Amino acid sequence: MSTIAPEFRLSRFIASLTDIIFWVLLIFSLVGLPIVFIVLFYIKLPVINGQLMTPYLAMTWMADPSRSIPIIKSFMHTTIFRVAVFPGFGFAALLAAATIYVERKFLAKIQLRVGPLYCGKIEGILQLMGDGFKLMSKEIIIPAKADKPIFWIGPVLFVGTAGAFVSLIPVAPGWVVANPSVGLLAVFATIGFFPIIAVLSAWSANSKWTFIGGLRALHQMIAFEIPLILSLLGIVILSGTLNLSQIVQSQEHYWWITFMPLSAVVFFITIIAELERIPFDLPEAESEIVAGWLTEFSGMMYGLIQLGTYLKLYAFAGLFTVLFLGGWQGPSIWPPFPQEIITQGITIGPVTAKFPGLPLFDQEMLNGTLWFVIKTVGVILLILLPRGVFPRVRIDMILHTGWYKLIGLAFINIFIALGLLYAGVLGPGGLLH
Amino acid sequence: MHRFLYSPIGLLATLVGEAASSFSPVLLLFLFAVVATGPTLILSRMIAPRRTPSPVKFLQMESGQVPKGEGRTHFMMQYYSFVLMFVVFDVMSIFLYAWGSSILNLPKTATLPIIAFLAIMFAAFAFALYQAGRKNIW
Repeated sequence: MSTIAPEFRLSRFIASLTDIIFWVLLIFSLVGLPIVFIVLFYIKLPVINGQLMTPYLAMTWMADPSRSIPIIKSFMHTTIFRVAVFPGFGFAALLAAATIYVERKFLAKIQLRVGPLYCGKIEGILQLMGDGFKLMSKEIIIPAKADKPIFWIGPVLFVGTAGAFVSLIPVAPGWVVANPSVGLLAVFATIGFFPIIAVLSAWSANSKWTFIGGLRALHQMIAFEIPLILSLLGIVILSGTLNLSQIVQSQEHYWWITFMPLSAVVFFITIIAELERIPFDLPEAESEIVAGWLTEFSGMMYGLIQLGTYLKLYAFAGLFTVLFLGGWQGPSIWPPFPQEIITQGITIGPVTAKFPGLPLFDQEMLNGTLWFVIKTVGVILLILLPRGVFPRVRIDMILHTGWYKLIGLAFINIFIALGLLYAGVLGPGGLLH
Repeated sequence: MHRFLYSPIGLLATLVGEAASSFSPVLLLFLFAVVATGPTLILSRMIAPRRTPSPVKFLQMESGQVPKGEGRTHFMMQYYSFVLMFVVFDVMSIFLYAWGSSILNLPKTATLPIIAFLAIMFAAFAFALYQAGRKNIW
């Protein structure tokens, strides 16, 4: 328990606070505001509803809620909104945080424990926030002989790369951060960075445990990358595209898992291996090599690695949904909006201000997002399940599984896809379309 | 299935910048994640206690023992054969995508050379795996 320092004086505390406020105001008005105006001079201001949006107009709109909806709507179609909020970082981080909480409760139920219970009164729902603050307030200890720049940058690069992976996952029709025509290859390219980061941070820490863990991570990710790539070739053969959104559109009638269950099983196993989860968690096997390549990370650095890991988990589950489970496709269960909402807006509150321009999202997008989230959460739960059930396997067994069995199955799957195509079951002019 | 998926994709000339700009949001999200999470390290450094600098605290973890020698040592690299195989077959599997994504526009006879290619590569693959299984030579 921390106590107030003995030399604490309230008057000095208040004086220091007013001091800080004075300096912030002074610097803001003398430096900050001129910078804002200089920047505004060079920025090309957008035209919304036929009006040039000057800062004064923007503030006028903000003061009147019914006028601010066009601003919000135009903001929602910018790249920065997609990157920061909806299909991008905010959405993924929200799902990742939910995953951490669900994983802890889920594992606890499997193992007849209670899991987080006290923090936040209701089933420990604030445990994650508490853990975040705890990690934030812990000291970051860096080993004396570590390669400091690389050691510092490792966790940040890990989160960044996981974010780059998230950006390629389409969530709803038209709602994807990056939509390159070779999206699947971009996914492979992004996945390829993770072992490099693991090995770099393992090598930079100058510790034996991290070194062994890094080498294990390298071996494991190498062994499972080729089955991962080959198992998806069947989908590309049958859908004829590498774009992830078009792959989802090609599953309007049948999900690919119905034709290629073998490929789905191989891909699922490689997902678990790439995520370093039990039964393939050799790189961070805590009972053998302390924490593997994460041994020397302390405090918030470890927290960032965990955040990156769960972002990666969401992205892999989303990729499985997109490739095998039809992505956003599903029956339209979102109720249509009443016509008067679209034309006249809704009335809110005692003042009865009308909000024309609502709803912000259309029905198709909400329905797609709902189905995507339902399927992705199902896949995430399936990925979490082995942790409570299976033991860890040895490294030679892992390599044997990856190189001998999974590659063989993926190879067979290519011929299944070719057979479906040339037997006239799928493809142009096929039986099913 | 859909007609637009199977429309013949010719070698349309596109500007290099156009193709590259479709990847720029990936880089943007990478930068956003770095900018959004990197400052937590600085914040943590500011609010976390940093006291009692003793040399023992900054030693690397070695299960309670006094660390001996360097962490970055020469290491007996096991399973080296798999690393060698990865270099070849990872590239091969990416090349297969060039064929797989355009197979609907190719005549059926064009599949035969690819089958031959697969046969050659996977025969070599099986031979390499057989050699990798002979542990006394690696």
